[in-house]
Amino acid sequence: MRSEVIRIYKRVHAWTGIVAGMALFIAFYAGALTIFKEPLARWVAPPHAETAMSLDEAQTLIVRALKARPEMAKDFHLYLKSAEHLPAGIGWQARPAGADEHDSASARHYVATLDATGAVRIEETHPSRLPEFIDTLHRVVGLPVDNDPSRWVMGVVAVLYALALVSGVIVLLPSLVKDFFALRVDRNPKRMWLDAHNVVGIVSLPFHVVMALTAVIFAWHDGIYRVQDTLVHGGRWANAFQRPGGPSRAAPRDPAAMLPPAELLSRVQAFSPTFEAGALQYLQATGPRAAVRVWGHDPGAHSPRALGGFVGLDPYSGKVTSTDFMPGKQDAANATVASFFALHLGTYGGTPVQWMYFLLGLAGAWLFYSGNLLWVETRRRKQAGDDSAPPVQRRDARLMAAATVGVCLGSVCGISLAIAGGKWLHVLTGEANAGIVPLYYAVFFAAVIWAFLRGAARASVHLLWLAAVLAFAIPLTTLLAWLFPSLGLWAHGSAAALGVDATALMGGIGFAWLARVAARRAWHGPRDSVWSALAAKPPRKTNR
Amino acid sequence: MSNEKPAAIQRDWLAKTLAGATLGFTLAIGCSGLLDGLLSSMALGARGQLVMWSVAPVWMGVFSGVYFFRSGARAWAWLGAANLLAFGAPWAFRLG
Repeated sequence: MRSEVIRIYKRVHAWTGIVAGMALFIAFYAGALTIFKEPLARWVAPPHAETAMSLDEAQTLIVRALKARPEMAKDFHLYLKSAEHLPAGIGWQARPAGADEHDSASARHYVATLDATGAVRIEETHPSRLPEFIDTLHRVVGLPVDNDPSRWVMGVVAVLYALALVSGVIVLLPSLVKDFFALRVDRNPKRMWLDAHNVVGIVSLPFHVVMALTAVIFAWHDGIYRVQDTLVHGGRWANAFQRPGGPSRAAPRDPAAMLPPAELLSRVQAFSPTFEAGALQYLQATGPRAAVRVWGHDPGAHSPRALGGFVGLDPYSGKVTSTDFMPGKQDAANATVASFFALHLGTYGGTPVQWMYFLLGLAGAWLFYSGNLLWVETRRRKQAGDDSAPPVQRRDARLMAAATVGVCLGSVCGISLAIAGGKWLHVLTGEANAGIVPLYYAVFFAAVIWAFLRGAARASVHLLWLAAVLAFAIPLTTLLAWLFPSLGLWAHGSAAALGVDATALMGGIGFAWLARVAARRAWHGPRDSVWSALAAKPPRKTNR
Repeated sequence: MSNEKPAAIQRDWLAKTLAGATLGFTLAIGCSGLLDGLLSSMALGARGQLVMWSVAPVWMGVFSGVYFFRSGARAWAWLGAANLLAFGAPWAFRLG
């Protein structure tokens, strides 16, 4: 390959990387945590009254709840396994008209259970918005709401990410064999960072190819569908998923005529013995086209969505109506489309693959952080000799270093505090959801401001210590809940919830170690760098 | 073999980037139309999704490869021709 082409792609890589790098850091850090969205939901969920319900009672509950609240017939779930965040019973959401379909923050949640006398009890619940908020940070690269403008920003970042990925590989190709197994930890720190950046990039290349292509689609699919409807499908796309039969004015059907959930589940069991059901979602239960989706996983197959996949049944006849989304029973075309989702979400291969995605996501975040460090290092002004005074570093390098430290560590600190705050706000104010988003952004912006005020060298040490402390705050909250029950905090003992504590503990130890290394660099490292706390101060601007 | 030095590659950042963004996208749509034709026996629901997903690799592939062109003008000319081919082929087949 001609060296000129390589040079051009070096520029492409540098510019796409520097523009999108910090947004991608947040997307990958929050995305890695989103892999464990359910454990996070379980960790933060306030305790709810234990109501055991046998599957045989479920039909009674459905019929009675529908009588009390006919509007829930549109869409409700029967949860088969209760957990910290899921009551044993049925739940549904009411959304205000006109809300964005991706924005779940505005929905109100209700739960119906049977009490000891067999009467229906309906309550509004307030599930923690924390897991959804971290997911939103991931999906729209650190913006607060998942709406159209946010997705356009995310779409641009996704395209830049794809360009950065390909250009990075093109730049590395000519020297790949020479560089791949080399991690030169010598006196040239730039060489070491570059080697590490290359190794992580190449080793996780398949993961990043998947993420870049799927992210482009997740951002732009609405627009692409619209263009293709006109140019490819001749306007027929909108009708592709409409089931035959127009709206009918028939009287509502009697839900008691539906097959009981136990019977529906045994039909599913007979249809696919390896499918593990988790919930039943009823759609238009009293309408002429009533449907029930039995959601679940198949350990031997990939799932099309984060929550698994589903088989569609007619709840009145028990006939299987759709396997388009059923793990293990999809036809080739649907299984292929589902694989794109599964490859992005890590919904195959069970827990080991989830941990692999978690680590690859964190490695991805590090990749973008190190990319920014390399950009800064390239612009370093070196000391002429040991005797001369260290030169003042370039302004763009100082600002980029501060922005990188502030934005990246600010989001890390903000997420940790939002997690711990999900419990503390509940205890202190009685309601946590309104405070989670302000808590995150308060820490985030404070970190960014701090980084610019104090400079990258000092701020990186402070913010890494803060990241460690806030990560430790998560298991500490659990510990305090056990030691001092009078505080009103709570702690769950499930493996999922304890896994959150253990992971946060490990994260805190990691950040503390990084803080010590960064401090050593700042106070004892070479002074001709933006990472030295003793670097030459830029001359003060004089007011004219 | 000629000993002539190959002409220098012009940077043309803006022209190449715009070609990759716009003509890369329209080429991907055109190719998705060809794929749609190949899969015409498949039900529209699944086919439409597959065809939609096919846009990402083609668009990103073209976009990231566009800086290999000698100049912005060449990028526009080649990608324009590829677009004509992708959109014209099904039309020509229907006539023929």
